[in-house]
Amino acid sequence: MQIDVHNLNYSYGSKNILSNLSLSLSDGDYLVVQGKNGVGKSTFIKCLLGFNAVKSGSIFYDHQDINNFKGWTKFGYVSQKFEDFNYEFPITVKEFLSISSLRKTSEKTRLRVLDQLGILELINQNINNLSGGELQRTFIARSMLNDPQVLILDEPTASIDKLSVEYFYQAVNHLNERGVTIVLVTHNDSIDHLNYSHVLTLNSDMTYVFHKRERTEATL
Amino acid sequence: MFLSFFTDLFLEDIMLRALIAGIILGMLAPVIGSIVVIRRLSFIADTLGHFSLVGISISLFLSTMGISIFFEQPLYLGLLFSVVGGLLVELFRRSYKNYKEISMVIVISLGAALSAMFFSLSKKTGSLYNYLFGSIITITNFYVVLILITAVLVFALFLIFGKQILSVSFEESNAKLLGVNVNMFQILFMIVLSIVVSMLLESVGVLLISSMMIIPVATAMKVGWSYRSTTIIAIIFSELSVFFGLWMSYSFNIPSGAAIVSFNVFLLLIVSFIRKMRQKQQPKTKEIETN
Repeated sequence: MQIDVHNLNYSYGSKNILSNLSLSLSDGDYLVVQGKNGVGKSTFIKCLLGFNAVKSGSIFYDHQDINNFKGWTKFGYVSQKFEDFNYEFPITVKEFLSISSLRKTSEKTRLRVLDQLGILELINQNINNLSGGELQRTFIARSMLNDPQVLILDEPTASIDKLSVEYFYQAVNHLNERGVTIVLVTHNDSIDHLNYSHVLTLNSDMTYVFHKRERTEATL
Repeated sequence: MFLSFFTDLFLEDIMLRALIAGIILGMLAPVIGSIVVIRRLSFIADTLGHFSLVGISISLFLSTMGISIFFEQPLYLGLLFSVVGGLLVELFRRSYKNYKEISMVIVISLGAALSAMFFSLSKKTGSLYNYLFGSIITITNFYVVLILITAVLVFALFLIFGKQILSVSFEESNAKLLGVNVNMFQILFMIVLSIVVSMLLESVGVLLISSMMIIPVATAMKVGWSYRSTTIIAIIFSELSVFFGLWMSYSFNIPSGAAIVSFNVFLLLIVSFIRKMRQKQQPKTKEIETN
């Protein structure tokens, strides 16, 4: 999917967060968004997802204005925290994945995604009883379930163990190789292990650097 | 006492009607109640009930003025106002996104104030008791048909849009990425809820509606392990309460709504107590195993 951001501005009340941000991504691009805490990484992601209404500047998906965009089912999203999700009511991982896909996702697909993330044995567990890491992996599984064309990941591996992080990035690379556009937010300084094609570095003075990296066969 | 209750249940039209209405409501209330609990809107039923009361009081006021509205059935105007109350909550909720309960307090206060005014103007304050506490024993055939139609519609909606309803309820923001029209579903749910509240108003009364919806779900949450099991357990608790509530009402001549809700709370206490005891026993069992 072609993503075009033009002169995007965003502020919380009188505090400006993003200023005149512009970038373009094409099918299969892999963007890493980096910067310190509070520079607006998550704000940018929420603008991309339409959770924050774009009032100044514009975002286009395949040349459609975000305000009239109807293709949200092509997006997968894993947030940094799951504050919006209601945990206390009992729901199993299986039920959770079932209500997270309106298409008829086959049982086989669900099991494969859970297996890839090493949480197959949790399928009948109540989500309330999962650890932070297991929960994170369940949400990652959900984002992969609907074969997204764009996968937006806001510090997705913050609370999961090293092995699962490896599983996760393998799965992300695999999706990227199949043409899925990836937008990954990280506050880690080291991004060398990632197979990205573009980097957006946000600074605390609202300036930014957006550059492209040539990917070699080896990195792919 | 129990035997005569059973005999009358099938011989007396009133009792049979009450039982049928109770069984339908006993199933409907927790199904809707589970969604209300997930969306953290537990006070919503009270709010809509109070606003529904505005419609009923206006209807009574108009009838004293000699104006017949909706065939002199206060329930219709009550239903209409319940829907209006629901839409008002949704409207205020958008202005106070992180303080959902404020919207309910505004609407409940307005509902209580307006209904007090119109009940007073209608000079029928005596009927207020019936609407506050309801009576499933005195309901008519017409009302039973009405709640049956409501139940069929609600269950059909759940069968067709179950996934959408649950995805919006569990996590509004992600539902958008599933292609769900979140705004439309919120409004649709509010309308359905308003209709169910109006149906419950006649049988259990304004003050006990939310207990009928929420308490069986709250009890089931203590023992359920999945959404499906929790909802099924809530329905079982709710039906048990209806049955034993009706029996208590028949045997001790107490208001049916109050008896049903009291039994609901009784079940909640029992389940909480048993769960607490089991939790206390579990570490001990482990200790014995390790020894």
